[in-house]
Amino acid sequence: MRVVVLLSAGRHPVSGRAILPPLEAQAIAMALALDPHCYGLHAGCTPDGVADAPGYGLPSLDLLTIDADVDPVPALAADLSKRKPDLIVAGRRGQGGNDTGLLPYALAEALHLPLLNDIVSAAQEDSDGMGRFEQALPKGAKRRVTMLLPAIVTVHPLAPAAAPFAYAKARRGTIEFREGPSGEAAPGLFETRSRRARPKLMRQADAESDGGGAAIIDPDPDDAARMIVDYLERLGVRRLRNEASRTTDHRD
Amino acid sequence: MRIDRASHSVGLVGGPGREEAVAFEANVRIVDEPAFTVLAVLGASNGRLSRFDRQILGAGRLLADAGEGGGAVIAVLPQAADGLGEAGADRAIIRGGGDFADVAGRAEAFLALDRTLTPRHWLFAENGPEADLARRMAIRLKEPILTDVEHLTARQAVRASHGGLREEAGPPPRLMTIQEDRVASYADRPCEARLLDAQTVSADATDSAIVESEIVPGDPSSMALAEADFVVSAGNGVSDFDAFHRLAAALKATPGASRVVCDAGLMPREAQVGASGTVLSADCYFALGIAGAPQHLQGIAGCEHVIAVNTDLHAAMVERAGLAIVQDAQKVMPALLHLLREGET
Ligand SMILES: Cc1cc2nc3c(=O)[nH]c(=O)nc-3n(C[C@H](O)[C@H](O)[C@H](O)COP(=O)(O)OP(=O)(O)OC[C@H]3O[C@@H](n4cnc5c(N)ncnc54)[C@H](O)[C@@H]3O)c2cc1C
Repeated sequence: MRVVVLLSAGRHPVSGRAILPPLEAQAIAMALALDPHCYGLHAGCTPDGVADAPGYGLPSLDLLTIDADVDPVPALAADLSKRKPDLIVAGRRGQGGNDTGLLPYALAEALHLPLLNDIVSAAQEDSDGMGRFEQALPKGAKRRVTMLLPAIVTVHPLAPAAAPFAYAKARRGTIEFREGPSGEAAPGLFETRSRRARPKLMRQADAESDGGGAAIIDPDPDDAARMIVDYLERLGVRRLRNEASRTTDHRD
Repeated sequence: MRIDRASHSVGLVGGPGREEAVAFEANVRIVDEPAFTVLAVLGASNGRLSRFDRQILGAGRLLADAGEGGGAVIAVLPQAADGLGEAGADRAIIRGGGDFADVAGRAEAFLALDRTLTPRHWLFAENGPEADLARRMAIRLKEPILTDVEHLTARQAVRASHGGLREEAGPPPRLMTIQEDRVASYADRPCEARLLDAQTVSADATDSAIVESEIVPGDPSSMALAEADFVVSAGNGVSDFDAFHRLAAALKATPGASRVVCDAGLMPREAQVGASGTVLSADCYFALGIAGAPQHLQGIAGCEHVIAVNTDLHAAMVERAGLAIVQDAQKVMPALLHLLREGET
């Protein structure tokens, strides 16, 4: 299986130094397990940040040079449609540019490829032309998906950790520069400015919706148990009694 | 005996209480002919609005009420859920297709909805399937989107960019995903939450590339404490840890503990809740035999609902709880286990 990892130029959130976004280092580890000869692809004006990728084990890296502020999607799409990889792996969102997480979706549209987001594992299906993936869902749930390739997947932070950075590997990896198509600088649709820190909302106890905060003194333990279960079910935290009977139904 | 702290009176109060919701009806706020609509896409898994869902509705309310002529907030959710009107929904559309129905198919269904309703805004949670859906729609509609919005007023929406060093701002565009804990939920008069029948979305269409898919629910017993939605914790007042572990499993809750319990080696250090342990994002916290020291309470500051079982009426945890049972944990745990086993048969 031929795998390519899309790389972006990241910025360290504190120092502002050019780095490879941590999620993309995880993407490299995932790609290597599927294809030891996988390669990285980046469209941009400098190799800053992405040049770290070989240090995480990536054997080779293609850099499509385009002008600053030019939309990278056409350059990436042109290159990928020529080389036709089976799987395109990207981070779920950049860290240092627009960081919208839209690029994989724009690429999927341009290449007419299916996209699966937030994956934590990938494997090749025994029968050809398919991949098996695990997708992270909210509240610790997962979805196992068997999918036709070629496809684009984005990696979730819960994916296995990246390999540690190694200078020896960083020196062994090769970077090839190629000129990307020229394009118009895309004007940003929104105003950008330096960030203002805004605290998140305080999470507060909602005493009123809790029923005024009742204290039940020295109840019979069975009554206490019933009150607790009623309370949990009324608030919708757990449907214990129904759910319990449903699980037994499934078992037989 | 029941003590109602809200009125500072001690006495017997009959019935389960909390019937106010029904009596509210006369006071319902009705938007009959809205000048425009705002669609709020909710996860509402298990038919229950999460805090995040209510914040999305709060954002919808903000935009609907600020616009000229007054708009209507339409909630779009997988199945019916309680409390939609209280959370600010004027209308509701049940899209069907389950909690995690295939997103590519759902995007197509939502595009159809976009054509019939032509809403002024679409609001999504920046969270798993909704974040995915929002991006698919932005690309298909070729429209600008502000993702992961961290500040929203009627006049501007702001999101962080460039690794958090810069920010993007502009008038709220039609498509936005909102970050959790950034927009307050709605707390005014309940709205109508009238069910719109005609526009029910069929989400049968699936991504043709997906050959097979299966959802594996999260396992509360092995989930990271910070991720869990319901945590049951043991403190120094718990001595029967066998019963405690069985109870956590029966409640499908993630087990936690106070520092004293972790220090004693009765629970692993990863289970420690509090300032020097894990700060929870759970909706509900069930504390067994925990005093409620300030360092411990810091870890549950964000929990909306707290249940306490404690022998001491004056424990801080009893004060913090929405439901407090002043009783021995070693008696309540087996009673709960018995009740939950009964429910299974
Ligand atoms: C710098 C610092 C950081 C700390 N960080 C943390 C932290 O992160 N997390 C944390 O938990 N603590 C932390 N602590 C410790 C904290 O101050 C308390 O000592 C600890 O939380 C107390 O744990 P506890 O409530 O289980 O025990 P106790 O204080 O012993 O309370 C036990 C409670 O159980 C009740 N009880 C007794 N028997 C029964 C029974 N049979 N049935 C029911 N109830 C019963 C008692 O009435 C009492 O309320 C920190 C302390 C310091 C100084």
